[in-house]
Amino acid sequence: MTAALQIALLALVVAAAAATAVLRSVLSAVVAFGAYSLSIAIIWVFLRAPDVGLTEAAVGAGVMTVLFLLTIVKTDSPTVERTFEQIDLRAAAVALALVLALSSTVFALPAVGDAGSPVATDDVTSYYLDSAYEETHVENVVTAVLAAYRGFDTMGEAVVVYSAGVGLLVVLNREVFG
Amino acid sequence: MIDMLASRSYFLVAFLLSGIGTYMLIGNANLIKKVIGMNVFQTGIFLFFIASAFVDGASPPLVSAPEPYVSPLPHVLILTAIVVGVSLTAVALGLIVRINDAYGTLREGEIREVVRDE
Repeated sequence: MTAALQIALLALVVAAAAATAVLRSVLSAVVAFGAYSLSIAIIWVFLRAPDVGLTEAAVGAGVMTVLFLLTIVKTDSPTVERTFEQIDLRAAAVALALVLALSSTVFALPAVGDAGSPVATDDVTSYYLDSAYEETHVENVVTAVLAAYRGFDTMGEAVVVYSAGVGLLVVLNREVFG
Repeated sequence: MIDMLASRSYFLVAFLLSGIGTYMLIGNANLIKKVIGMNVFQTGIFLFFIASAFVDGASPPLVSAPEPYVSPLPHVLILTAIVVGVSLTAVALGLIVRINDAYGTLREGEIREVVRDE
Protein backbone atom coordinates (compact mmCIF):
# COMPACT_ATOMS: atom_id res chain seq x y z
CA MET A 1 0.00 0.00 0.00
CA THR A 2 2.61 2.56 1.06
CA ALA A 3 4.90 1.32 -1.73
CA ALA A 4 2.20 2.02 -4.32
CA LEU A 5 1.56 5.42 -2.75
CA GLN A 6 5.26 6.27 -2.86
CA ILE A 7 5.56 5.29 -6.51
CA ALA A 8 2.49 7.40 -7.30
CA LEU A 9 4.03 10.37 -5.44
CA LEU A 10 7.34 10.01 -7.25
CA ALA A 11 5.48 9.88 -10.57
CA LEU A 12 3.49 12.98 -9.56
CA VAL A 13 6.70 14.84 -8.68
CA VAL A 14 8.35 14.02 -12.00
CA ALA A 15 5.16 14.88 -13.92
CA ALA A 16 4.80 18.23 -12.12
CA ALA A 17 8.46 19.06 -12.77
CA ALA A 18 8.04 18.18 -16.43
CA ALA A 19 4.90 20.34 -16.55
CA THR A 20 6.81 23.37 -15.23
CA ALA A 21 9.37 22.79 -17.99
CA VAL A 22 6.96 22.51 -20.94
CA LEU A 23 4.10 24.86 -20.00
CA ARG A 24 4.53 28.11 -21.90
CA SER A 25 2.47 30.35 -19.64
CA VAL A 26 4.55 31.45 -16.63
CA LEU A 27 1.49 31.45 -14.38
CA SER A 28 0.72 27.81 -15.26
CA ALA A 29 4.36 26.92 -14.61
CA VAL A 30 4.21 28.56 -11.17
CA VAL A 31 1.02 26.67 -10.31
CA ALA A 32 2.66 23.41 -11.42
CA PHE A 33 5.68 24.31 -9.29
CA GLY A 34 3.42 24.76 -6.26
CA ALA A 35 1.95 21.30 -6.82
CA TYR A 36 5.49 19.97 -7.23
CA SER A 37 6.64 21.48 -3.91
CA LEU A 38 3.63 20.16 -2.07
CA SER A 39 4.01 16.60 -3.39
CA ILE A 40 7.71 16.59 -2.57
CA ALA A 41 6.83 17.78 0.97
CA ILE A 42 4.68 14.64 1.30
CA ILE A 43 7.64 12.56 0.09
CA TRP A 44 9.76 14.07 2.90
CA VAL A 45 7.16 12.81 5.39
CA PHE A 46 7.35 9.31 3.87
CA LEU A 47 11.13 9.43 4.19
CA ARG A 48 10.72 10.21 7.94
CA ALA A 49 11.88 13.81 7.63
CA PRO A 50 8.92 15.72 9.11
CA ASP A 51 10.96 18.85 9.81
CA VAL A 52 12.06 19.09 6.19
CA GLY A 53 8.48 18.36 5.09
CA LEU A 54 7.10 21.22 7.21
CA THR A 55 9.73 23.64 5.95
CA GLU A 56 9.20 22.60 2.35
CA ALA A 57 5.40 22.97 2.60
CA ALA A 58 5.63 26.37 4.31
CA VAL A 59 8.56 27.79 2.39
CA GLY A 60 8.66 25.88 -0.91
CA ALA A 61 4.95 25.68 -1.62
CA GLY A 62 3.98 28.80 0.37
CA VAL A 63 6.54 31.62 0.36
CA MET A 64 8.11 30.63 -2.94
CA THR A 65 4.77 30.58 -4.79
CA VAL A 66 3.91 34.01 -3.35
CA LEU A 67 7.29 35.37 -4.50
CA PHE A 68 6.74 34.02 -8.02
CA LEU A 69 3.19 35.39 -8.16
CA LEU A 70 4.40 38.83 -7.00
CA THR A 71 7.02 38.79 -9.75
CA ILE A 72 4.38 37.91 -12.34
CA VAL A 73 2.19 40.79 -11.13
CA LYS A 74 5.12 43.23 -11.31
CA THR A 75 6.20 42.09 -14.78
CA ASP A 76 3.31 41.97 -17.21
CA SER A 77 3.98 38.81 -19.15
CA PRO A 78 2.46 38.77 -22.64
CA THR A 79 -0.53 36.54 -23.29
CA VAL A 80 0.56 33.27 -24.80
CA GLU A 81 -0.91 31.74 -27.91
CA ARG A 82 0.44 28.22 -27.46
CA THR A 83 0.02 25.94 -24.43
CA PHE A 84 3.43 24.25 -24.62
CA GLU A 85 6.97 25.46 -25.13
CA GLN A 86 8.90 24.33 -28.13
CA ILE A 87 11.38 21.68 -27.02
CA ASP A 88 14.95 22.97 -27.15
CA LEU A 89 16.88 19.96 -28.47
CA ARG A 90 20.34 21.19 -27.47
CA ALA A 91 19.22 21.80 -23.88
CA ALA A 92 17.49 18.42 -23.85
CA ALA A 93 20.73 16.76 -25.02
CA VAL A 94 22.72 18.44 -22.22
CA ALA A 95 20.09 17.47 -19.62
CA LEU A 96 20.00 13.87 -20.93
CA ALA A 97 23.80 13.64 -20.77
CA LEU A 98 23.71 14.86 -17.16
CA VAL A 99 20.99 12.37 -16.18
CA LEU A 100 22.89 9.50 -17.83
CA ALA A 101 26.19 10.49 -16.20
CA LEU A 102 24.55 10.70 -12.76
CA SER A 103 22.58 7.48 -13.30
CA SER A 104 25.76 5.58 -14.11
CA THR A 105 26.67 5.95 -10.42
CA VAL A 106 23.42 4.33 -9.25
CA PHE A 107 24.87 0.82 -8.87
CA ALA A 108 27.63 2.11 -6.61
CA LEU A 109 25.07 3.69 -4.25
CA PRO A 110 23.57 1.77 -1.33
CA ALA A 111 19.89 0.82 -1.65
CA VAL A 112 17.49 3.41 -0.20
CA GLY A 113 16.51 2.29 3.31
CA ASP A 114 19.52 -0.01 3.76
CA ALA A 115 20.35 -0.07 7.50
CA GLY A 116 24.03 -0.73 6.66
CA SER A 117 24.44 2.28 4.39
CA PRO A 118 27.41 4.59 5.11
CA VAL A 119 25.10 7.44 6.20
CA ALA A 120 23.11 5.28 8.65
CA THR A 121 26.17 3.65 10.23
CA ASP A 122 28.39 6.72 10.35
CA ASP A 123 29.94 7.77 13.67
CA VAL A 124 28.51 11.28 13.36
CA THR A 125 24.96 9.93 12.96
CA SER A 126 25.24 7.63 15.97
CA TYR A 127 26.92 10.33 18.07
CA TYR A 128 24.07 12.78 17.45
CA LEU A 129 21.39 10.14 18.02
CA ASP A 130 23.01 8.85 21.24
CA SER A 131 24.03 12.06 22.96
CA ALA A 132 21.78 14.83 21.58
CA TYR A 133 19.15 14.42 24.28
CA GLU A 134 21.65 14.14 27.16
CA GLU A 135 23.67 17.13 26.02
CA THR A 136 20.95 19.51 24.86
CA HIS A 137 17.68 18.19 26.39
CA VAL A 138 15.92 18.70 23.08
CA GLU A 139 13.76 15.74 22.08
CA ASN A 140 13.99 16.44 18.39
CA VAL A 141 17.52 15.51 17.29
CA VAL A 142 17.21 17.59 14.11
CA THR A 143 16.48 20.70 16.19
CA ALA A 144 19.32 19.84 18.57
CA VAL A 145 21.84 19.57 15.72
CA LEU A 146 20.47 22.67 13.96
CA ALA A 147 20.44 24.96 16.99
CA ALA A 148 23.23 23.55 19.16
CA TYR A 149 25.87 21.43 17.38
CA ARG A 150 25.71 23.33 14.11
CA GLY A 151 24.61 26.65 15.63
CA PHE A 152 27.28 28.58 13.74
CA ASP A 153 25.98 27.09 10.53
CA THR A 154 22.50 28.32 11.38
CA MET A 155 23.88 31.75 12.22
CA GLY A 156 25.49 31.78 8.75
CA GLU A 157 22.09 30.87 7.33
CA ALA A 158 20.54 33.82 9.15
CA VAL A 159 23.27 36.06 7.70
CA VAL A 160 22.38 34.77 4.21
CA VAL A 161 18.67 35.55 4.73
CA TYR A 162 19.55 39.02 6.06
CA SER A 163 21.89 39.74 3.15
CA ALA A 164 19.21 38.56 0.72
CA GLY A 165 16.73 40.97 2.32
CA VAL A 166 19.20 43.86 2.11
CA GLY A 167 20.17 42.89 -1.44
CA LEU A 168 16.52 42.81 -2.47
CA LEU A 169 15.94 46.28 -1.03
CA VAL A 170 19.00 47.61 -2.87
CA VAL A 171 17.91 46.03 -6.15
CA LEU A 172 14.30 47.18 -6.00
CA ASN A 173 14.73 50.73 -4.60
CA ARG A 174 17.50 52.38 -6.53
CA GLU A 175 16.65 55.83 -5.10
CA VAL A 176 17.65 54.67 -1.59
CA PHE A 177 21.33 54.72 -2.59
CA GLY A 178 21.02 57.53 -5.11
CA MET B 1 18.71 -5.64 -12.11
CA ILE B 2 15.05 -4.52 -11.84
CA ASP B 3 15.14 -5.02 -8.05
CA MET B 4 18.35 -3.09 -7.88
CA LEU B 5 16.82 -0.16 -9.76
CA ALA B 6 13.55 -0.32 -7.79
CA SER B 7 15.41 -0.08 -4.48
CA ARG B 8 17.17 3.01 -5.79
CA SER B 9 14.17 4.66 -7.45
CA TYR B 10 14.50 7.72 -5.17
CA PHE B 11 18.02 8.32 -6.45
CA LEU B 12 16.89 7.89 -10.06
CA VAL B 13 14.08 10.41 -9.52
CA ALA B 14 16.59 12.80 -7.91
CA PHE B 15 18.83 12.52 -11.00
CA LEU B 16 15.81 13.00 -13.26
CA LEU B 17 14.79 16.16 -11.39
CA SER B 18 18.33 17.51 -11.75
CA GLY B 19 18.06 16.82 -15.47
CA ILE B 20 14.70 18.61 -15.77
CA GLY B 21 16.15 21.55 -13.81
CA THR B 22 19.15 21.72 -16.14
CA TYR B 23 16.87 21.61 -19.16
CA MET B 24 14.82 24.53 -17.81
CA LEU B 25 17.94 26.58 -17.00
CA ILE B 26 19.27 26.20 -20.54
CA GLY B 27 16.20 25.63 -22.71
CA ASN B 28 13.51 27.96 -21.37
CA ALA B 29 13.83 31.50 -22.68
CA ASN B 30 11.76 33.12 -19.92
CA LEU B 31 13.87 34.23 -16.95
CA ILE B 32 11.18 33.36 -14.36
CA LYS B 33 11.10 29.81 -15.71
CA LYS B 34 14.87 29.63 -15.42
CA VAL B 35 14.53 30.43 -11.70
CA ILE B 36 11.86 27.72 -11.36
CA GLY B 37 14.33 25.37 -13.08
CA MET B 38 17.01 26.27 -10.55
CA ASN B 39 14.59 25.35 -7.77
CA VAL B 40 13.71 22.03 -9.42
CA PHE B 41 17.44 21.24 -9.69
CA GLN B 42 17.91 22.06 -6.00
CA THR B 43 15.02 19.85 -4.96
CA GLY B 44 16.62 16.99 -6.89
CA ILE B 45 19.72 17.37 -4.71
CA PHE B 46 17.53 17.57 -1.58
CA LEU B 47 15.83 14.30 -2.56
CA PHE B 48 19.23 12.65 -2.95
CA PHE B 49 20.27 13.70 0.57
CA ILE B 50 17.01 12.82 2.34
CA ALA B 51 16.75 9.47 0.55
CA SER B 52 20.32 8.62 1.60
CA ALA B 53 19.40 9.31 5.25
CA PHE B 54 16.39 6.97 5.15
CA VAL B 55 16.43 3.58 6.91
CA ASP B 56 13.61 1.05 6.34
CA GLY B 57 11.23 0.82 9.28
CA ALA B 58 12.99 3.59 11.21
CA SER B 59 11.35 6.47 13.08
CA PRO B 60 11.92 10.18 12.56
CA PRO B 61 14.84 11.33 14.75
CA LEU B 62 12.65 12.20 17.76
CA VAL B 63 13.73 10.82 21.12
CA SER B 64 10.10 10.04 22.03
CA ALA B 65 9.75 7.72 18.99
CA PRO B 66 10.93 4.07 19.10
CA GLU B 67 14.39 3.18 17.75
CA PRO B 68 15.96 2.85 15.19
CA TYR B 69 16.07 6.37 13.78
CA VAL B 70 16.89 7.78 10.38
CA SER B 71 20.06 9.88 10.24
CA PRO B 72 19.36 13.47 11.38
CA LEU B 73 22.39 15.15 9.81
CA PRO B 74 21.20 15.23 6.14
CA HIS B 75 17.87 16.64 7.36
CA VAL B 76 19.69 19.52 9.08
CA LEU B 77 21.80 20.25 6.01
CA ILE B 78 18.71 20.28 3.77
CA LEU B 79 16.75 22.52 6.14
CA THR B 80 19.55 25.06 5.82
CA ALA B 81 19.68 24.57 2.06
CA ILE B 82 15.92 25.16 1.65
CA VAL B 83 16.13 28.51 3.45
CA VAL B 84 19.22 29.56 1.49
CA GLY B 85 17.40 28.51 -1.71
CA VAL B 86 14.49 30.81 -0.88
CA SER B 87 16.89 33.72 -0.28
CA LEU B 88 18.54 33.00 -3.61
CA THR B 89 15.16 32.86 -5.37
CA ALA B 90 14.05 36.13 -3.76
CA VAL B 91 17.16 38.00 -4.95
CA ALA B 92 16.91 36.44 -8.41
CA LEU B 93 13.27 37.49 -8.74
CA GLY B 94 14.15 41.02 -7.56
CA LEU B 95 16.77 41.23 -10.30
CA ILE B 96 14.20 39.91 -12.78
CA VAL B 97 11.77 42.71 -11.87
CA ARG B 98 14.57 45.24 -12.50
CA ILE B 99 15.51 43.59 -15.81
CA ASN B 100 11.88 43.81 -16.86
CA ASP B 101 11.83 47.53 -15.96
CA ALA B 102 15.00 48.19 -17.94
CA TYR B 103 14.41 46.07 -21.05
CA GLY B 104 10.63 45.65 -21.12
CA THR B 105 10.84 41.90 -21.67
CA LEU B 106 11.81 38.74 -19.80
CA ARG B 107 12.72 36.56 -22.77
CA GLU B 108 16.43 35.89 -23.09
CA GLY B 109 16.69 36.43 -26.86
CA GLU B 110 14.73 39.70 -26.81
CA ILE B 111 16.93 41.09 -24.00
CA ARG B 112 20.01 40.26 -26.11
CA GLU B 113 18.47 42.15 -29.05
CA VAL B 114 17.76 45.22 -26.91
CA VAL B 115 21.33 45.16 -25.58
CA ARG B 116 22.72 44.85 -29.14
CA ASP B 117 20.61 47.72 -30.44
CA GLU B 118 21.81 50.14 -27.75
